[in-house]
Amino acid sequence: MANNALHPGGASRHVSAPARQPGHADLTTWGLDPAWSRLVTFQGAAGVPVTWHVLDTATTLKHPPTGTLVCVHGNPSWSYLWTDVLHEMGDSWRVVAIDQTGMGFSERTGPRRLAERIDELVACCAQEFDGPLVLMAHDWGGAIAVGASARLPVEAVILANTAVAKPEDVAVPPLIAAARRTVDLACRRTPAFVEGAAAMTGRSHRAALRAPYRTADLRSAVADFVADIPVTPDDYSAPALAGVADAFASLTCPILLVWGGRDLVFHDRFLADLRRRRPDADVHRVVDAAHYLPLDAPIGAIAGAWLDRTLGAGSNRSDLSTAGTSNDTSISNNTSNSNTVDSDALPGPGSDAQPMGTPVGLLAEVDAHRGDATTLYQGPEGALTWDELAVQSDRVAAHLVAAGVAVGDRIALLVPPGPDLLVAAMATWRAGAVLVVADATAGIRSLRALIRATGVRAVLGTRLTLGVSRATRMAPGATRLCFGPMPGARDVTSDLRGQPPEVVLTGESLAAVVHTSGATGPAKPVRYTHGALSAQRDIVGSILAEGGGSAFTTSFPPFMLLAPVVGMACHQADFPLAHPGRLTLDALAGVTKDGTVGTAWLSPASARNLVRTAAGRHAPVPLTLLAGAPIPRGLVAGVAEVTGGQVRAPYGMTECLPVTDGRDPERIGPLGGTSTGAPLAGCDVEIEPLTRVSGGRDASGHPEPIVGEILVAAPWMFEGYDARWMTDQRSEVRRQGKRFHRTGDVGYLHEGTLFQLGRMAHLLHPTSGPLGCLAIELPLAEQLGCEVAVVGIGPVGAQVLVAVLQASGRLRPVPTELAKRARASVSVPLAAVLQGSLPADRRHESKIDRTRLAGVVDTYLRGR
Amino acid sequence: MNVVVTGATSLLGGEVASQLAARGDHVTCFQRRPNLVGLVDHLGDIRDADQVAAALDGQDAVVHLAALVAPRMAWSDAVAVNVLGTANVQRGSAACGAFVHVSTPSVAFHDVAAVGEGAEPAAYVGHDAYARSKAIAERSVLVDAALGSVPTVVLRPHLVWGPGDTQLVGRIVARAREGRLVLPDHGRALIDTTFVDDAAAAIVAGLDAAMTQGSATGRALVVTGGDPRPVGEIVTGILEAAGLPTRIRSVPAPLAAVAGRLSQAWWPGDEPPLTHFAARQLSLAHWFDQRQTQALLDWKPEVSVDAGMERLAQWFTQQS
Repeated sequence: MANNALHPGGASRHVSAPARQPGHADLTTWGLDPAWSRLVTFQGAAGVPVTWHVLDTATTLKHPPTGTLVCVHGNPSWSYLWTDVLHEMGDSWRVVAIDQTGMGFSERTGPRRLAERIDELVACCAQEFDGPLVLMAHDWGGAIAVGASARLPVEAVILANTAVAKPEDVAVPPLIAAARRTVDLACRRTPAFVEGAAAMTGRSHRAALRAPYRTADLRSAVADFVADIPVTPDDYSAPALAGVADAFASLTCPILLVWGGRDLVFHDRFLADLRRRRPDADVHRVVDAAHYLPLDAPIGAIAGAWLDRTLGAGSNRSDLSTAGTSNDTSISNNTSNSNTVDSDALPGPGSDAQPMGTPVGLLAEVDAHRGDATTLYQGPEGALTWDELAVQSDRVAAHLVAAGVAVGDRIALLVPPGPDLLVAAMATWRAGAVLVVADATAGIRSLRALIRATGVRAVLGTRLTLGVSRATRMAPGATRLCFGPMPGARDVTSDLRGQPPEVVLTGESLAAVVHTSGATGPAKPVRYTHGALSAQRDIVGSILAEGGGSAFTTSFPPFMLLAPVVGMACHQADFPLAHPGRLTLDALAGVTKDGTVGTAWLSPASARNLVRTAAGRHAPVPLTLLAGAPIPRGLVAGVAEVTGGQVRAPYGMTECLPVTDGRDPERIGPLGGTSTGAPLAGCDVEIEPLTRVSGGRDASGHPEPIVGEILVAAPWMFEGYDARWMTDQRSEVRRQGKRFHRTGDVGYLHEGTLFQLGRMAHLLHPTSGPLGCLAIELPLAEQLGCEVAVVGIGPVGAQVLVAVLQASGRLRPVPTELAKRARASVSVPLAAVLQGSLPADRRHESKIDRTRLAGVVDTYLRGR
Repeated sequence: MNVVVTGATSLLGGEVASQLAARGDHVTCFQRRPNLVGLVDHLGDIRDADQVAAALDGQDAVVHLAALVAPRMAWSDAVAVNVLGTANVQRGSAACGAFVHVSTPSVAFHDVAAVGEGAEPAAYVGHDAYARSKAIAERSVLVDAALGSVPTVVLRPHLVWGPGDTQLVGRIVARAREGRLVLPDHGRALIDTTFVDDAAAAIVAGLDAAMTQGSATGRALVVTGGDPRPVGEIVTGILEAAGLPTRIRSVPAPLAAVAGRLSQAWWPGDEPPLTHFAARQLSLAHWFDQRQTQALLDWKPEVSVDAGMERLAQWFTQQS
C-alpha cells in the first residue's frame, strides 16, 4: 500500500491560514495564562518560513529556570494538552508547549510528513533555545520528539502513551484503523475523529481540545497526520519511523515513560515494546489514566519529581555508580547493623554481580532431592514427591524455553493451588523467567487488569484458566502453555526431548512480581529479586523449623511454594483453598493427626473459623503463625486453646515478609496495641515520628515510646513496585545508607517490641494530637465484646472521634447504657457511639474500610 | 476592678457576675429586675441610653449579656433590645478599659451543617428575629472595635446549659412532661454545647484578654465545651437527669422544617411549638474548632457533657 499522496483530494484541499493567538477570554476559560501565548516564526520544512503558536512560561517564571522543557503534542490535540505541566512546572522550568504545523493555533499550510515534522521541531528548537533541553511528548508527538532528539542537545526525555514503532504482532488500534479507512470523511470533513479523541478524557477538557479544529479547513492536518502513520514497511513514513526507533535505542539521556493504563490506542503492549527497547527507562504507569494521560494524571508533579531526582541536586546517579562494591544479596540473616547490603542501589546490567551458588538458588533444595521419593506436598488435589517435582519442573521448563521464553521474561501463573502450582513455579525459575502471581479470588476484571499491566510473555495455566484468560483477553499476545492438551496452547505435560536450560542468575535478577492485596488502596505490583527471595527462604525456613515437625501447613495458597524452596514438606488441609475462611477444625485435625506438622501458618479468617468450628476439640500444632497482625487477643487465645501450642502474630506485608517474630501477641503495649514481637535478626525497624518528639519519660523513667510511621529494611524486602516510579519514590526512605520501606502503618517500639496501631491513612487527628485507631479500638472491642471501628470527623487537628459497633442494619445510635460503657473504656472523648454494618474489605474479612466508614459517619452526624 | 454585667438575671449572666465577684472584682449588675446571685444591682432598662450611661459611669469594664431571647418576637422589640440596647452599652462604655459583647453562633447560621468550623462572619440573613438582631449588633460592635474605641472581645457561647437553665433544659423538660417532645431524625446531628460554668469562665477570660489588649481583642470567637454530641444524646441525658422517661419521638428532618414554618406562621401565642429556625438548628450539625478560641483566651473547658449531666441530675434531685 504505497501511499505517496497524503490524501485522495490532493493539495488543493489545503486552505492556508496564518497562525493566530487565541483570545484572552478563551485562554482564561481553558485555564491557561494569556501571558504564555505567543507566535514563533522559523524556517520550516518546505524551505519557507512557518509560524507556530506556542505556550511559553518564559514571561511568568518566578525563579531563574532550572532548564527548558519542550512539550510536543500528538494528533489531534494541541499545546493545551500540557496545561498541568505549564502550571506545575512553569515556575521553575521554562515550559514551552508547541502547536505543530497545521495544528492547534499554528499556521495552516501544506501537508507535513513525519520527517518534516521532525525537521521543523529541530529547526524551531535550534532557533529558540540555547543549551540543553528536556523533551516531553505524547501520542505521535513522541515519535517526533524522539526523532528530533538525535539532532538536539537533549538532557532528558519524558514520553507519555506513545510509540516509536508498531510492535510486530500488535494490530493497528481500532480508532486509528477506522480513521485511516475513511480518512478524509472521518478526520477532515466531519469532526468525528476530533470528537472521538476528545471523548477519551474528562468533559472539562473537551471544549479546549476541540477549539482549534472547528471547521474542515482547520482539520486538514489532522487527516494528513492520520494518513501519514506508517503501518506497513511500504508506507511513505516507514523509513522515518525506523529512524525514530534507532534514535530511541541510541538515546544517551535518562528516559521516563509515563503511561495511562486505560488507553485504548497506545495500550500496554506499546509500553511493553518501549520497555523492551529501553529496559533502563524509568516507568510510571497510572492505572486510571486513559489516552490523554497529560490531562488525566498529575504529570507535572511526576515529571517535576523525576527531573529533580534525575538531573537536579537530589540526583543519586553518582551514588549508583559507586555503590556497586558489595553485591552479595543472597546473604541472609545479616545481623542487624552490619554493612547490610542494599540490593537496590546496585547497578543492574553490566555490574560485576556474582552468579548465585547454584544456577538458581531457590531451586537448590529441589536439585538436592533429585531421586528422593518422599512426599513433598500432600493436599486435597493430590500429592507430589521431591523427585516428581524435579522431573516435572524440568520438563515444563524445557517447554517454556521451547516456547521462546527467555531469561527475564514474565510468566503469569494461572494454576490453581496444588502440585501443578509447585511444578509451574519451579519450572518458571528454572527457565530463568519471572513468576507473576495475582490473586484470582479478586475477580476476573481485577486479575485481568493486573496481568495486563505486568506485560507477561507467557501464560501457564489449566484448560479452564487459559480458557477464561483467552475469552477475557487477559494477556493479549502472550504464549499459552497448558497442563494438559488444549488447542492453541502448548501442552507442558507432553514429552519433550532436551535438557532443562542451564540458567545463570544473579541476586539482582528478577524472580517474581506479586501483588499487594489491594485492601488498603489499589493493588500494586511488587518486584522481588532472587536475592531477596533467597534471604526470605532462609528466615522463613528457620521460623518454620521452630515448630519442630517435618512438615508445615498453611491456609495461604502462595505459601505452599515455600515447601520446595525451604526444603520442608507441606501438608495441605482439606478445605477450599480459595476461601481461607472455610478452614475447619476437622480439616486441620486431618493433617495434624500424624504429628508431622510442626507449624501452621494461618490467615485470621482461617483462625476465626477454626476456633468457631472447634467446639472444645483440639488439633495439636506446636507453633501457629497468624498472618495479618495485629490479631485480636481473643483470637490468639482461641487458637492457642485449639492447637495447644505457641501462637505468634508476626508483622509483615507483601513488600517485606516477615518483619517481626510475632511473640507475645496478647501483650498490650503502653500506648495501646498488641505486640507483634521483636524485629527479626537482619531486619531493621525504624519509626518516623508523627509529631515533634517530646523526649518525655514515662512513670518508670524509660523514654516515652515514639509513635510514628513504621519503616522497615530487610535483605528479604521487595526491590520496588513495578512500573510505579513515583510510588517507589514515595515509599522509599534512605537512612544510614539503607533503603527503608515506608509501610504506611503506624506503631511504636517499646523494650525491643514493635506494637502496631493501624494504618497511617486511618490516623485520628483530635486536638490532643494524632492517634493510631487501634489504640482506641482494641480496648473498646475487648470491653464491649464486639468488633469496633473508630473514625475521626472534622478538620485535621480538631477532629472528634466516633466509635461504630458492628451490627447489622443502618447506622444508628447505640442504647444509652452501651454508650456509657464504651466511653468508660477509653481515655479519649467519643463524640458519638453508633452501631451499624462496618464496610469491610471484600478480600480481607478482618480489614474495615475506615475511610469509607468515616464518610458514612460524617454524613450521618451532619444531619440534613 | 469595677465591672458592670448586663443581663445578670439570666443563668449565664448570674454565673459571670458570681465568678467575677468571687475573684475579687467589684461587680454591679444592670437589668430591669434584681439579680438572683446576691450582688449589687443598678436596675434600669437597656433601651434607655441615659440609664445605661449612668450605670456605666466610672466603671472599668462591661460584660454585655442582656438580650431578648425568644422563639418568636416582634422585630421592633428585637431591634430595640438587641441592636439599640447593645449600641447604648457600647456608647456608655466609651470611657471603660474593656468591653465584652456576648453574641451567639446563630449569627453565622446559614441552614447548612457546621462541622469543625471557626467563627464565621455574622452574616445571618434569615427570618429569625433573634439571630438577625444579634448579627446586626455583633457587626456594629466589631466595626466600632476596629475603629479603635474600647478594647473589645466578642464571644459566641454555644448552647449554654446547666442547673437552673430555663432556656434549653427548661424547655426540653417542659415539652417532655407535656408529651410534646419530638426530634428530627432521632436527633442524629452532632452539636456542641457549653456548660454554664465553662461559658462564664470563658467570658471572664475574654474580659481579661480585652483588659490586657491580648490578641483576642477585636475578634469574635465561638465558645463551646469542646465535647460535641448528637442532639438525641444531649436530650436523653437531660431527661435522664430530670428523672423522666427517655423515649423520644422522631420526625424526618425535612418534615420538621415544614412543621416549623407552619407553626411559626399560624400559632397564635408568643411561643409556637416549633419554628423553622429551631427545627433546622436541631437537624443540622454545628460543632466548632476550638483551638483558636482556647489559645487566644488562654482558657479551657473543664466540665464534660457527662460531668455536667451528673451535676444537672443532682440539681433536679435537690429541686424535688
